[in-house]
Amino acid sequence: MPDDILYSIRNLTVEYKTRGGAVRAVDNVSLDIRRGEILGLVGESGCGKSTLGKALMRLHDGPASIPGGELWFDGRNLMDLPLREMTDIRGAEIGMVFQDPMTSLNPVQRILDHLTETIHTHEPETSDKAARARAEELAERLGIRRERLKEYPHQMSGGMRQRVMISLALALRTKLVIADEPTTSLDVIVEAKFLDLLKELQKEFGLTILLITHNIGVVAEAADRVAVMYAAKMAEVGTAQDVFIDPKHPYTQGLLKSVPNIKLDGGDLYKMGGQPPSLLHPPSGCRFHPRCPFVMDVCRNEEPAFEPVAGDHLASCWIYQTPVANKVIGEQEVHNG
Amino acid sequence: MAKPRTRDEISKSVRVATEGEDLVRVEELRKHFPVQTGFLASLLNRGNIPTVKAVDGVSFTIHRGEVFGLAGESGSGKSTIGRLVLRLYEPTSGHVIFDGIDLQSLSPEEMRLMRSRMQIIFQDPLASLNPRMSLGQAIEHPAQIHMPELSLKERRNRVMEIFHAVGMNPPEAFYDLFPHQISGGQRQRVVLARAMITHPELIIADEPIAMADVSVRALLLDLMMDLKKEFDLTYLFITHDLATAKYVCNRIAILYLGKLCEVGPLNEVYEYTCHPYTHALLEAVPVPDPRRRRTEPMPAGEIPNAINPPSGCHFHPRCPLARENCSVDEPILREIRPGHQVACHYAEAFLK
Amino acid sequence: MAKSKEQLSETILEGATWEVELKQVGFVRRLFMARRWYGADWWFVAISAVGVVAFIIVAIFPGWFAPFSPDALVGPSFLAPGEHVDPPILVVPVSSAVQKLQDLAVPEGADSPTVAVLEGAPTGGALNEQAQKIDEVIKDQPKGLRLRPIIDRYPTLSGTLQAVINGTDKVAVVQMMEFHAVKAQYPTLREATTITGVTSTAGGFILGTNDIGQDVLSRLLWGTRIALIIGFSSSIVSLIIGVPLGLLAGFVGGTFDRLLSLLMDSLYAFPGLILAIAITAVLGPSILNIIIAISVLYIPTYYRIVRGQTLSVKEEVYIEAAKSIGARSLEILQRYIFPNVIPSVAIIFSVNVADAILTGAGLSFLGLGLPPTLADWGIDVARGQRFIQTAWWMITFPGLAIMLIVLAFTLMGEGLTEIFNPKLRDR
Repeated sequence: MPDDILYSIRNLTVEYKTRGGAVRAVDNVSLDIRRGEILGLVGESGCGKSTLGKALMRLHDGPASIPGGELWFDGRNLMDLPLREMTDIRGAEIGMVFQDPMTSLNPVQRILDHLTETIHTHEPETSDKAARARAEELAERLGIRRERLKEYPHQMSGGMRQRVMISLALALRTKLVIADEPTTSLDVIVEAKFLDLLKELQKEFGLTILLITHNIGVVAEAADRVAVMYAAKMAEVGTAQDVFIDPKHPYTQGLLKSVPNIKLDGGDLYKMGGQPPSLLHPPSGCRFHPRCPFVMDVCRNEEPAFEPVAGDHLASCWIYQTPVANKVIGEQEVHNG
Repeated sequence: MAKPRTRDEISKSVRVATEGEDLVRVEELRKHFPVQTGFLASLLNRGNIPTVKAVDGVSFTIHRGEVFGLAGESGSGKSTIGRLVLRLYEPTSGHVIFDGIDLQSLSPEEMRLMRSRMQIIFQDPLASLNPRMSLGQAIEHPAQIHMPELSLKERRNRVMEIFHAVGMNPPEAFYDLFPHQISGGQRQRVVLARAMITHPELIIADEPIAMADVSVRALLLDLMMDLKKEFDLTYLFITHDLATAKYVCNRIAILYLGKLCEVGPLNEVYEYTCHPYTHALLEAVPVPDPRRRRTEPMPAGEIPNAINPPSGCHFHPRCPLARENCSVDEPILREIRPGHQVACHYAEAFLK
Repeated sequence: MAKSKEQLSETILEGATWEVELKQVGFVRRLFMARRWYGADWWFVAISAVGVVAFIIVAIFPGWFAPFSPDALVGPSFLAPGEHVDPPILVVPVSSAVQKLQDLAVPEGADSPTVAVLEGAPTGGALNEQAQKIDEVIKDQPKGLRLRPIIDRYPTLSGTLQAVINGTDKVAVVQMMEFHAVKAQYPTLREATTITGVTSTAGGFILGTNDIGQDVLSRLLWGTRIALIIGFSSSIVSLIIGVPLGLLAGFVGGTFDRLLSLLMDSLYAFPGLILAIAITAVLGPSILNIIIAISVLYIPTYYRIVRGQTLSVKEEVYIEAAKSIGARSLEILQRYIFPNVIPSVAIIFSVNVADAILTGAGLSFLGLGLPPTLADWGIDVARGQRFIQTAWWMITFPGLAIMLIVLAFTLMGEGLTEIFNPKLRDR
């Protein structure tokens, strides 16, 4: 595995047992997370991005299982490890920041204790004094004043709590932070500051961050590279520039056109027809085909591979994989699939 | 008190405000919520119960036929104002004048009948639909209340028409379904349909698309604008998303901690921003273009709590332009450019 | 605008939820298809529902299942389950016309018939008892017959039987098995009916008899009726009173709510059985009073649950929406709050019935409320207490019956809870 890749996800599938049958929330997905980058993982609700995030720490609830795939984290395949060894990795090497910090923090524990407990759990030989000093220094760095460390979670605002979550992730010199919708519950100014913080931490600590969100704008503001998921599959991956300025997958194209941009003058927003498919009975062939303005016959029958289209810019779309690549890819009228 | 008006008089009263004139006029509206304290604390305080000043002296007008945006972050009071306009909450002080009628002057029964003219749609469509009522029944209910003159058949027809108007076809198929059996986008349409069935004049939309999927939002906004044209609606559009507001609102008001900062035509406010908070808000909105990342820093600190807001101008602790008098004198909303009002002592300086 | 309408046309969600699927088949099929979705809970509810229905059928038509009337003295006392019964039978000459005991009745004034009986056997007593019974009935009849047989005692069985053969006594009353053993030696004698006229008891009583000779099984089956009457009636009364009060208190709030809750909490704080005892003691023994006592006991349960649900439903957004469309308070209570509160009530009803039955049995066990002649499980348990070592079946079977019915109702209620409250299920 090349050294600049911190986490290589290969052919990952995550399955849930539901009343209606087995549902693949993540279906044969491959993705590389590079060291020191902020990778934005976007998609609408139900596309599987949160499930993917949790699976990276093998943190999933009862009915979910990982029937296939490899999780190469820093040279080791996490799928080979027994589950109890994962607890050593979670928190220590891979940290997670959730959407609602209120429910992820223990309401009867002071913030300071959260931090020192985390440190002690993974580095038991640290003295109380040293742990406390580390916690305070970290909090300071994250903009949390020392006095506030004695408070309880309910006494702090949403933005503060998210900072606390990040500091928990950093307390142990984590390599990778998975942030699952970290700003969705925050006000817009606090969100902006939080994204600034993420970028600073990336620079200062060389932190690698997987930023999972449905908010395209957030990804554009903070991410170096972008991955787009649709219906449990990877649709497109590339640098932020590539994906935003020259999107290859029709879903990405539609998505970008339907998001309001405050810097642009008004005008109509693009409306994508149809709705995200049921994962219980996904469409045949390419999952986006019922809604795709450029649908071809092959799209209905066979699934396109997730391949490079131009250098490091990958997409799973037949347009680039058939000889009929002369299709004009431009502005087209919307029509229902 | 005047003789109570009949249903007809209220719901079919001659419209006082015509196109472009004030449909709604809000005057010095205040809503202070008492803070829940223990028995002992209330004894000790003896009448000085601390209050959350959710809305603290807000005045604005909504013209007939426009989409008026009410924007702010949490604690700004925007949702509370929405409910005050509908008199779902009783104001602590101040007035809401709807089409020339002071809502405070109405008896509870008169107010109830008035509701056929003003409706609200909520942020979470699943929560705002009764899980034990079919979609058809939910939509039909307002008609049962406000249109007793319709026969059952006529009423059903009206429901089917409204289903069709919000794009749910075939209508018969949806009548007997329940909220949990349809998608989120469809639910919001049902909520719209329910609000529309009495052909109201004003619709308060409280974050109507915040919970919808990204690909569905544009469709819903489109639908709302179509309905506006078709049914002659006026919207009070409450949102925290200034990017979306740009696409639908004609005029916009920015709120901070229960007070108005800036009001005016949308393009005016966005382009000739006069208030430092409005500016910060506009800058903070994430732009889906990596070439145009934000470079400006955000104001320090966080939104203070509304029980003890900062003195003078509420924004002064975080404002880059704050001067001495900002913490003492509260700025009043005043006109700075045609149709454009701002509440800031140094707005002119900021504009330059 | 037409264009956007076309685009906006939405069809019903594809891969329709399984609930829509279910709607499309008949009710019975739906029940069985539901098994796929609910798994173990379905079995719980199904099995206990079958049990509950069985109990209800027995309660409505005990006569179909019970071999005897519950207060009939059908046999000797303390007969163990399945113990072979040796009833006393009439033995008559082959040529005699006598078939049953009543045939020995003679008009007033005529000579009473003589009956041969083995010395020391219990048949004498049984004969007298039975004769007395019949006599009581027939003396008031128009024919004016009397049955007051004179008993001749003989020291041996052969002597007893010989007396009939040579005409000294008209008929002999001996135990059936004894006669069968020697039957071959007396070809001129034949067996008539048992003195009670009941022939079906040769095989014994399935659950035995109690201290005065009543069939335990029949009493058990007949007792179901009382148990269920008490259980259902008191639950329904509690529901009718508790639910509306809970709704009102939760909806209206304020002082009304506080006062009512105070009252209900005080009631709830009482140990149930003691309160029931107090009420029955004051009101006096009767089924109605037991029902009243138990109803009072459970009103607070319904009140609390309904009030709690109302309070939480009241905060839901759809209630605010209902207000915003101009619905009146009564309409909101009826169409928005009540339907969302009711499922919880339906569930506690089942468990409530179980509890009421138990309390009812407890009360009758203590001798309160029911006249002791009624067939009731509690009474039977009380009676059987004294004989627990000698006639264990007297207390065991009624006790088991109480346990089973409570189990059936409770399981059904719990199973329904799991089905209606998905949060309690494992995903």
